[in-house]
Amino acid sequence: MKQRIYQFTEEISRIRLGLTTTRKQTGQVYPQLLNRLQKVGDSFLNIEFANHCYLSYMRKPLHKHIAHHVRNAHRRITKYLYERDTIFATLWVFIFILMVKVLPLPNMHFFDPIEIALEDFDFNDITYSKLKKTVGDSLDQHIVIINIGEFDREGLAMLINATSSMGAKVIGLDATLEGAKDPYKDSLMRDAIERNKNLVLASRFHPGEGKEESVFTPNYFSTPETKNGYVNFLSKEWATVRIWNPFIKNEEHPDSQPYQSFATTLIQQYDPAAFETLKKRKHSTEIINYSRRTNQYLVIDGEDLLQGKVDPGIIKGRIALLGYINTNPEDIEDKKYTPFNEEFAGKSIPDMNGIVIHANIISMALDGTYINKLPLWATILFAVVIGWLHMSFFIHYYLENHIWFHLVAKIAQLISAILFVYVGMELFSRFRIKLDMTLTLVVIVLAVDIIYFYEAFAVWIHKKFGYTTVFHHKHH
Amino acid sequence: MRKFRFLLLASLITATLFSQDNNFMVYSFKGNVTVVENKVESKPKVGKMLSSVSSVKIPAGAVLTLICNQNAMFTIKKAGNYALNEFKDSCVVSAGSLSANYARYVWEQMTSHGEGAPGTNRKMYMNTVGAVSRSVNNIWIDPRLDTINYASGNFPLTWKSYSDANEFDFFLYDNASATNPIFKTTTKAMQIPITSILKYMKQGNTYYWTSAVKGENNDEIKVINYTSKDAYDNVLDQLKAAGPAYEGEAEQAFRIAFGLEDARYYSEAYQYYQKAANLKPDVWLYRSTMMSFKKDYDIR
Repeated sequence: MKQRIYQFTEEISRIRLGLTTTRKQTGQVYPQLLNRLQKVGDSFLNIEFANHCYLSYMRKPLHKHIAHHVRNAHRRITKYLYERDTIFATLWVFIFILMVKVLPLPNMHFFDPIEIALEDFDFNDITYSKLKKTVGDSLDQHIVIINIGEFDREGLAMLINATSSMGAKVIGLDATLEGAKDPYKDSLMRDAIERNKNLVLASRFHPGEGKEESVFTPNYFSTPETKNGYVNFLSKEWATVRIWNPFIKNEEHPDSQPYQSFATTLIQQYDPAAFETLKKRKHSTEIINYSRRTNQYLVIDGEDLLQGKVDPGIIKGRIALLGYINTNPEDIEDKKYTPFNEEFAGKSIPDMNGIVIHANIISMALDGTYINKLPLWATILFAVVIGWLHMSFFIHYYLENHIWFHLVAKIAQLISAILFVYVGMELFSRFRIKLDMTLTLVVIVLAVDIIYFYEAFAVWIHKKFGYTTVFHHKHH
Repeated sequence: MRKFRFLLLASLITATLFSQDNNFMVYSFKGNVTVVENKVESKPKVGKMLSSVSSVKIPAGAVLTLICNQNAMFTIKKAGNYALNEFKDSCVVSAGSLSANYARYVWEQMTSHGEGAPGTNRKMYMNTVGAVSRSVNNIWIDPRLDTINYASGNFPLTWKSYSDANEFDFFLYDNASATNPIFKTTTKAMQIPITSILKYMKQGNTYYWTSAVKGENNDEIKVINYTSKDAYDNVLDQLKAAGPAYEGEAEQAFRIAFGLEDARYYSEAYQYYQKAANLKPDVWLYRSTMMSFKKDYDIR
């Protein structure tokens, strides 16, 4: 205890010495030192006083310490919150972003490796690829995937019949059968299709470019009686499949039924109530809520099925998806990029077979676990509020502790990035709400640079028009 | 008293949790895996549910993948008999909370020091495939011997070697994924007569064979269908019936030989090629075809 008291008196002595040195050197009283000295008072040599101060400090409970620091932080953020300059500087951040977006500037990012690498980037992908989202979730009880391997049309026909005989409620064949092949095998295939009315065939939808008309290419075996759905996802070949178009308007006959995706038709056949829910949402695109990896679906080898190695009870009453599955990472046939990819940014290889993506879409619709994207205004509002708070905090340091400004700003940006990415991921993962955090993070990053610009701007209009600003007496 | 009640309640909850029966579902299997339920042994089926009192028998080379309580997948590769209640630990899946995983991820990223440079972390940088693999297997087996149908007669199972090896191992299996052969021999000749392995085979079954430089392994497996006499006769009758109305004996033998070769009955095809050549030795086509057949399949 005595040691501590001694240290305390030593510190007070140092303050005094500092005051003296400052006076001698500059002839002015350094305000901070004077403030501290005034608090201590003239009795700084009084041990009793020091003892009292130290003991009262020690007696302060933890929650009061925390409250003290929270009050400090609160003061730092809110001191300039309602200043005109803070509001205008925040506004300038958005004006700058708008200018970059709206003005017909040449594309200056064609050589930017970060821009190129992050073109297909979404923070929420981290939840799948790194944070083990979906690990531990149970097998889907509605869907069985049957691997068609290298089966030809004869083999597929046998597989359809065998699956149907095991009592599958709906069968989806994810294979685009284009054009005639061997007449004998084609006849077997046609027979299997005619016999199984619960079979959904794979078609393709080719969207037109510009004014070019879109084309829906039905399966070679499609007839007016067969059920179809387009299997292709309307995303770039190299991009992550995140969205799904359940319906696409028939441009040729706008009054007729829209085209349905493969998964939509399967949902319609399996669970009409889930299909109605999907229709009522009236979303032209849905964000896919991936809930399972390949091994979280029961995947049966087609040959095992034909050889009677499968318990029929596992297929009865379920959706049987017949598609190509290969878990070998070097085999990328019919594989797409999904948020499960280990590399969530930059170069990588496709990671999930198309049939598993269809299965995930169906799981989402049957479980009713759709993802709701917050509207643009909510995203902007969130970015404005967060940007405003950051601007106030940055201006406080800019004006009052400029020596620490850059260090504090960088640390604040890092902490904010970590925090807001987490908030976005929690919303996505726990509440199935997608809030795009990109704008918020861009605002936080730009806020620091905009302060310098705004300071110059504010000083200029102060000189020109007498505009009152907190920056007018500061020069950095 | 209150503490005692609390303790009793906690014990009851713990006991209930631990006494919960796990159920297992057969996800996939390879090889002759068997399941024992109520002392009855049976072949498993994909999707079959097993209780924790069941047991499984895994022979050498077989693999069984199970899913416990619909969410924990594990694979048994090691040969042996296992009671499923031994796998209680495998039923626990711990993915951790999103917040904890995120905190761990951020910490790992902030404290990682990159992957080093090529000079300091060669394992990371020298890990590319480099080039296509053509394997180090020094044995070449004619693709026409991929599948052989056999009913009677003699025919050599041949191979070629690009190494200087003098001795070769021959393996015969009764299962494509088996690791223990039913017959193994070492030979200096790069062929083995099919008649020498007949005693290990039963008609109507399929067998698998391969050869390798002595002491080495070869993953390339070939198939022998040891067909029943009836099955062969059926093929032969079809070939005979497919001929024209007027056909000489030699012509018929030559046509049947061609058909049998196409149907991969090589031993039988050879007998008919010989028959055609013997019946009409002056027909150059019959003789030359037989000679080239002998050459192609290394019949000595």
